[in-house]
Amino acid sequence: MTEIRAEAVPRAAFAAVRCIRGFAAIADGHAPYLGDESKMPGAAAEYLFFPDNESELAAVFSEMGRLGVKVTVSGARTGLAGGAVPLGGAVVSLDRFDRPLGVRHDEASGEWRVTAEPRVTLGDLGEWIKKKKFPGLEETCAESLERFRQDQQAYLYPPDPTEMSASLGGTVATNASGAASYKYGPTRDWVRRLRVMTARGEVLDIRRGEYLADDRGEFTVIAADGAPTVLKVPTYTWAATKNTAGVYAAPGMDLIDLFIGSEGLFGVLTLIEVALSPRHDTISVVQFLTSDTAAIDFVIALRGDGEVDPEFIEFYDANALALLRHRQRENPKAIDMPPIPETAGAAIFFDLAFDAEAPGGAFDRLRQIAGACGASLADSWAGYESRDLARFRHFRHALPETVNAIIARRKKDHPALHKLGTDFAVPDAALSEIWEYKKSRLDESGLEWVAFGHIGDNHFHVNILPRDPGELETGLALYQEFAAKAVELGGTVSAEHGIGKIKRKFLGIMYTPAHLAEMKALKLALDPRATINPGDILDV
Amino acid sequence: MFRILVCVKQVPEVTDVTVDTETGTLNREGVASILNPFCEYALDLALELRHANPQREIEIVAVTMGPPQARAALMRCLEMGAERAVLLTDRRFAGADTWATALTIAGIVGKLGDDIDLILVGKHAIDGDTAQTGPELAECLGLPQVTYAVDLELEGGTKKKASRWIRVRRETERGYEVLRMKLPGLVSVSRGAPLRQVCSLDDILGARNKEIATMTADDVGIAEAELGLAGSLTQVVRIFPPPARAGGEVIDGSDPGEAARRLVGFLRERELV
Repeated sequence: MTEIRAEAVPRAAFAAVRCIRGFAAIADGHAPYLGDESKMPGAAAEYLFFPDNESELAAVFSEMGRLGVKVTVSGARTGLAGGAVPLGGAVVSLDRFDRPLGVRHDEASGEWRVTAEPRVTLGDLGEWIKKKKFPGLEETCAESLERFRQDQQAYLYPPDPTEMSASLGGTVATNASGAASYKYGPTRDWVRRLRVMTARGEVLDIRRGEYLADDRGEFTVIAADGAPTVLKVPTYTWAATKNTAGVYAAPGMDLIDLFIGSEGLFGVLTLIEVALSPRHDTISVVQFLTSDTAAIDFVIALRGDGEVDPEFIEFYDANALALLRHRQRENPKAIDMPPIPETAGAAIFFDLAFDAEAPGGAFDRLRQIAGACGASLADSWAGYESRDLARFRHFRHALPETVNAIIARRKKDHPALHKLGTDFAVPDAALSEIWEYKKSRLDESGLEWVAFGHIGDNHFHVNILPRDPGELETGLALYQEFAAKAVELGGTVSAEHGIGKIKRKFLGIMYTPAHLAEMKALKLALDPRATINPGDILDV
Repeated sequence: MFRILVCVKQVPEVTDVTVDTETGTLNREGVASILNPFCEYALDLALELRHANPQREIEIVAVTMGPPQARAALMRCLEMGAERAVLLTDRRFAGADTWATALTIAGIVGKLGDDIDLILVGKHAIDGDTAQTGPELAECLGLPQVTYAVDLELEGGTKKKASRWIRVRRETERGYEVLRMKLPGLVSVSRGAPLRQVCSLDDILGARNKEIATMTADDVGIAEAELGLAGSLTQVVRIFPPPARAGGEVIDGSDPGEAARRLVGFLRERELV
């Protein structure tokens, strides 16, 4: 039997917790806390709390529990699935949980690790690690920090979901990934310890490797008062792709993985320890190819090659390049790159490790691979200086920004319009099939669309740009169809954006009612009154 | 063969540089080094000349003086399209001011193979901002010079003999001038294309097969007393950031009449109208 004991947390005085009361006051002075990046409309919240530590958070849970008020946790609100949008009740902002807590070298694994509170942003965390300077730790962590600085190796925290204002806690709660997960895996692979406060106001302190599901697929949580609660690992098979749809489950799984990617279903993260990876110099390359199919052949060849080892592989289909060319003609500076070659029918964007003094044999191999796909390294853009890497990053963002700008313009005529962005992934073997399927269905539909993104993980995004409400309906039907096709091919309905509130309906495509009931049973075991994050993932 | 020498400098990426307010020195730790943007404009114009004159065989040679790591700036030039590069590096060059730098570069101009037809420099480096090295180099070599160029055009000449003249469009405070200059000569470049060139991976890998020759004080062949700090006519006494500008006054334009009255009052107060 695998047991974990919950810690009782001394409870602060509820009155000491900073609180904005009443919907009018929240809407007036703190409106951003009523929504998130999904732009999903929420409902009126009556409380907005800013606890400063676990004791204050426990006080909030205790009081809200007593009043029967549901609690929605608010981090950096960069999520795209409405996870932080309240449906009434109380909003608990973690804005004050924004401190780094420690840096240490783990002798057993040889890893450098950073511990921080959940509201630290990935941008700040990255800067601290890069500069090896952590605010507030100079005295409390002096010896370890000095050793970190003495280490000549540069380090990074690899998860990079593009949005660097995202919070560490939010990215753990959603198991965020992004382009770099192609090489480094999603956030899950880098989390070493979590402290999670449950709805009872107690804390589970979980270090990776300490609590593995027993032979019956169970964990037992012993509450501070000694009462046991059994958590049963769901019996479904987790998709063998990048996946954030539903609660993670696997035989013999680590308890820490139940919380990573659970979107706050079971509790609130109050402390996170992550591992760092050595950082090496890289070169960014945009390789132009003659067609979408040549680009997919190039991706498959890159993935299968032992010598060329991309950090990520991103895709631009012919429509995406056409949209960018149009934007370039309107405003060259917005794209900040030379004109996209007229002959290019697709492009693949990737980073490779690069030693400017001795590039190495991988590039000879790359030349061969490109040649076999009808492309030449002369038909590429490349850069490795820090300003060039920043410029290429800007280029990566240019397409989604262009799509968003077009939709914003169309919304003026049709306020109900919105972009339809897929987040589906399939296993490696299904890449060509899913591409051909989607392309042919989209072309038949007459809709305006582009495809781009994480093709290395078979997770390119299709963005449909409806021009009127009729096209929105057509697009929504296709979206549903693509979700079902992804699942049929062994994939997922949500590879990285999560389910939140907006995509809940798609879980039914991927999981049976019995599987959903298993997730619900887990939720109610840890949060019997379904107090935390109501409406996220499950209909509770 | 028409040979263009492009003189370049490696500089810190200024957006990353801060000044230590106590010591007055630059905080260079972790700051990337780049090819000075105006030098890159000069190289761009050299490449454009070659592109515009396919009938002429044009060789572009990049040269810099600096520590061994300045090689990276030359590599950027080779990636962009220069045929070869020369790195002047020697401890004896250390501490050179603009004069000693110009004199040293002038010393190797005759040692780069055949004659140089055109020397291109950036109008200034973004770290020192002196704008002196280029003009001093022309003086050292006894060459004519045109400063603040934005465009170049080689005159055609006849079938038998290529012209020895170049037309230079230069910017002035009031607009533009077009000057003719007899070659060999030196041109300093003040502006380039709004978008920086992007190299292909082929360019970047190909540059690694091009030559970067290293030359030392022994190769330059001028007296040691004229090199580096010893040969410098100026010395840096102190580096300090200029005082921050005070914020201007913003006039609220919601009431145009009132805004105009305040604007006129402002100008009259300062006797500007």
